[in-house]
Amino acid sequence: MARRRGSARLPSRRFLPNDPRVAEPYRLTPQLAFRIAILGAVVLAAFAVLFLRLWALQILSGPQYLNAAQNNQLRVVRLQPPRGPIVDRNGVPLVENAAGHSVQLWPADLPKEGRYQLLKRLSTLLNVELKWLVEEIEARNGDPLTPIVVKRSIHRDQVNFLSERKSEFPGVTIARTYLRAYPRKSLAAHLLGHVGEATDVQLEANPSLRLGDEVGQAGIEARYDDFLRGTPGIAQLRVDSLGRPRSSLLLTQQPQPGQQVRLTIDARLQQAAQQALRFGIETAIENEAWYANGGALVAMDPRTGEILAMASEPSFQPSVFVGRTDPEKLLPFTDDEVAAARNFPALNRATQGLYPPGSVWKPVAALAGMEEKVLTPYELIQCTAKYVFKGEDGVDYEFGNWDRTVNEAMDLKIALAKSCDTYFYELAMRFHDLPPERGSPHQAWAKKFGFGAKTGIDVSPEEAGLLPTPQWRRETFTKARYPKTWELERLWKPGDSIQLAIGQKDLLVTPIQMARFYSLIANGGKLVTPHVFRSAEVPGPAGTQPQVVHANVPPPAVDSGVDPAHLEHVRQGLLQATHYPHGTSAGVFDSFPIAIAGKTGTAEKWSTKVGDHLDQSWWCGFGPYDSPELVVCALIENGGHGSVAAAPAARKVFETYFGIEGGQVDLTETD
Amino acid sequence: MAMVEASSPAQGARAVERPDVLELVRRLDWLLFGAVLGLVGFGLWAIAGITRHDVADDPDHFVVRQAIFAAAGAVGFAAALFVDPALYRRFRKPIYVGTIGLMVLVIATAGVTRGSRRWIDVGFFQLQPSEFGKLLFLFAIGGFLADRSRRIGEWGTVWRAVALGLAPTGLVFVQPDLGTALVYGAVLAAVLFVSGVRWLHLAVLGALAVLAAAALLWALPAAGVEVLKPYQTARIAAFTDREGDPAGATYNVNQSITAVGAGGLRGRGVDGSTQTRFDYLPEHATDFVFASLAEQRGFVGAGGLLLLYLLLLWRGIRIVSLARDPFSAAVAGGIVFWFLFQIFVNVGMTMGIAPITGIPLPFISVGGSSMVTSLLAMGVLQAIHLRAAGRRG
Repeated sequence: MARRRGSARLPSRRFLPNDPRVAEPYRLTPQLAFRIAILGAVVLAAFAVLFLRLWALQILSGPQYLNAAQNNQLRVVRLQPPRGPIVDRNGVPLVENAAGHSVQLWPADLPKEGRYQLLKRLSTLLNVELKWLVEEIEARNGDPLTPIVVKRSIHRDQVNFLSERKSEFPGVTIARTYLRAYPRKSLAAHLLGHVGEATDVQLEANPSLRLGDEVGQAGIEARYDDFLRGTPGIAQLRVDSLGRPRSSLLLTQQPQPGQQVRLTIDARLQQAAQQALRFGIETAIENEAWYANGGALVAMDPRTGEILAMASEPSFQPSVFVGRTDPEKLLPFTDDEVAAARNFPALNRATQGLYPPGSVWKPVAALAGMEEKVLTPYELIQCTAKYVFKGEDGVDYEFGNWDRTVNEAMDLKIALAKSCDTYFYELAMRFHDLPPERGSPHQAWAKKFGFGAKTGIDVSPEEAGLLPTPQWRRETFTKARYPKTWELERLWKPGDSIQLAIGQKDLLVTPIQMARFYSLIANGGKLVTPHVFRSAEVPGPAGTQPQVVHANVPPPAVDSGVDPAHLEHVRQGLLQATHYPHGTSAGVFDSFPIAIAGKTGTAEKWSTKVGDHLDQSWWCGFGPYDSPELVVCALIENGGHGSVAAAPAARKVFETYFGIEGGQVDLTETD
Repeated sequence: MAMVEASSPAQGARAVERPDVLELVRRLDWLLFGAVLGLVGFGLWAIAGITRHDVADDPDHFVVRQAIFAAAGAVGFAAALFVDPALYRRFRKPIYVGTIGLMVLVIATAGVTRGSRRWIDVGFFQLQPSEFGKLLFLFAIGGFLADRSRRIGEWGTVWRAVALGLAPTGLVFVQPDLGTALVYGAVLAAVLFVSGVRWLHLAVLGALAVLAAAALLWALPAAGVEVLKPYQTARIAAFTDREGDPAGATYNVNQSITAVGAGGLRGRGVDGSTQTRFDYLPEHATDFVFASLAEQRGFVGAGGLLLLYLLLLWRGIRIVSLARDPFSAAVAGGIVFWFLFQIFVNVGMTMGIAPITGIPLPFISVGGSSMVTSLLAMGVLQAIHLRAAGRRG
């Protein structure tokens, strides 16, 4: 067979020797041909599939994939705008921005292997909790392209360390950031508040916020966040698959810096108020009010309700909330025990502190008495050492006067000037003896003067205080809540009326409420809304004043309906209190070259810590007497008599306001 | 046939002889040669663009290496022309034993690279025996079946061939190199098919293969025996569910599809091919080279490449039909199916229609072993053509 096949038609023979196997009979059998055809068909089918798929991807869906590929490398970066500064009424900066570096972590760029080691290293390096970091990454599982701000404000050395080891920390980037800076340290700390990363609630409420955005968390920063925050810019950055930038930032939207917020605060007066408060506390301690340890002072323009200064002691440095926050330093804000030990520095006592007003309340009672015609200003009432009335049970109840030696007939002005308690006990009993259909006029007027409700000041939080009424007693002292004493406690007794008239017992007010009421006395009966926000501004053209884009329009002053003539009697009484020889704060203010009118208060408040009633030292007043520009209301916690702690503190503020240096002050203990 | 074989050692020894070069040149399959030349050239051009930005200081790093490999492969191609395929058949046993030995050596000595032991370091480059093994394996199985061509219809022959084939396949599989093991399996199937194994037997083997796959993927893991590595299972799972785990197992294929699609009709060019350039596309010079090519050169380039492959396969199939003996036919058929399988799986995986396995794209993927082996295989194919019965001049 081999021979037969070995014909001249086989040129291979010349090329290769004839091997027996080469000559092996082999034909393309139909069976093999069929199989080869199948092989060919498989090839064609396979290539048809490949071509179709290639066609579908490149030609039919090409544009979509091109888009996807472009988005792959374009990372949208939000450029945080600088937050607007906060300035005082004269443009003195209270909060500014300082440049800093923050460390960001892009979860999408973390390596799959060695991820834990990287995070561990990062957490040690930046002193952040590994657990927190892992939780943040897990929380962002669905959103791998929003960076986690691992740390704001890192030290220069850390910046260098990370920059030099970029390849060892894939997914970690360093970004420039703005940090809040407080050039005046603790000045107005309680007002300004602080910023922090948006919380879940804030993110929910404001869809324009993104995780990691900084927003105001308290005070002005929170209240006027919309002005201050600005609009983030949007930029695109071309990056490779490891997130390494391959281009510079391509801005698609310029960041809009936050607006400047101008406050009504006068930095100079604020400084004076804070110093005055500390001076008041020191003075109180010198005068044997050993427990004096805090207080509040409000200085406000009675005509407009603009707050010029608002101080609260103890205070804090707002910078503890900035950048590398130290948990230790934040303890007074986060830990109840530490807060109590430091006497609650976070508390803004001007708006949140609740105190019995004591004698600074007497003008309220006096105005209500005249308005309700249970009292006439010239009527003489005997001021005595004590006041006794026979109860329905036939027992004599005795209420003492702070002055145990007095026995003289007084009209309203003298009673206010000397702060006669028994005069107001008598007034209180006249209220008490009114027929029930007259309601509770004393409280009704107090309400018109703004007590028992929030003032609406734009500094939060604020307390409403407590204005006790017979109804309040009935509703509060229920059988369910007070199973033993409710039957007695739910009744409004003469004692309640008597104590209310001198601002004691259940009555609680905030210093800002009191300042607002004294503004009403000063401005002729109008109830203003206290506020600290003046305007939001953007920088004007170079060398010009900032342009106001939003001017604060506080709610218009409300006329309380009090008779100006009645008000005049009270005003004169308050002037006598600071000038009449035996006026309660005449020792402090009589020597003052500008006529100041005001009232002291010494309010007893139960201290669970000391286990005794401690005197809260008050002074509220205004000046100049003829055209009042400034109301000052000072309170020294546990500061003893109003005349020896609060009044001298208030005087310091008037001194700064009117530019008057020093002067003789006589500290006599009065009510 | 065994008798014939026994009687011819003296003549067989002269299988390599002084060739008539002119005759050789005349009898080459020039279309196939052109396709191979075109593929190598196209491949170098493609790699030049694809790896332009891979080595920072040396944009030609990979293309130079690849050109050196292509030159080495060309030497192998030329050498293969002068070897009568009958020689491979005669030495099929030493070849088989040698193949097995090499693979054992790989597993025993080779360093672990990217989790698998595939390479033997030989200085300039890393030898990947499983690539060369494809050809040797083909010779061994083809030789065995050719020797038994008269008993090809018997079960015994089939079983033995499968048993012979599974040993090196298994060794590749445990390296682990699932992709290459699949190529071995495909080559075995093709050789059985072309050698004329009965349809019934093929069907039974096919059914067994399906059962084995089911066992690997489902039954054994369910029973707690993990044969596949977790990443292998994940890749196969990713093939069936492309939406799941975008950062993990499906990342590669999604980036690859994006790259292919982004290429459009004309491609994005070397500098504009961001998927490749910025490393979104992993392994873009090796496993995913087709995606990079498609991104840079578009439908025109990628389709052109596929046409070149189609030309190559067509000529290959033609050589199967021209082969002068069953062994040559089986080897040619094995080579054709081997290339078809690698092309389809590699190109298919970059477009999401085949699971991801580490199979190189012949002539294009960066890699010396693959380039040299592919050119050697083409040399063998041409050698078969040279010695074809010459029914058609």
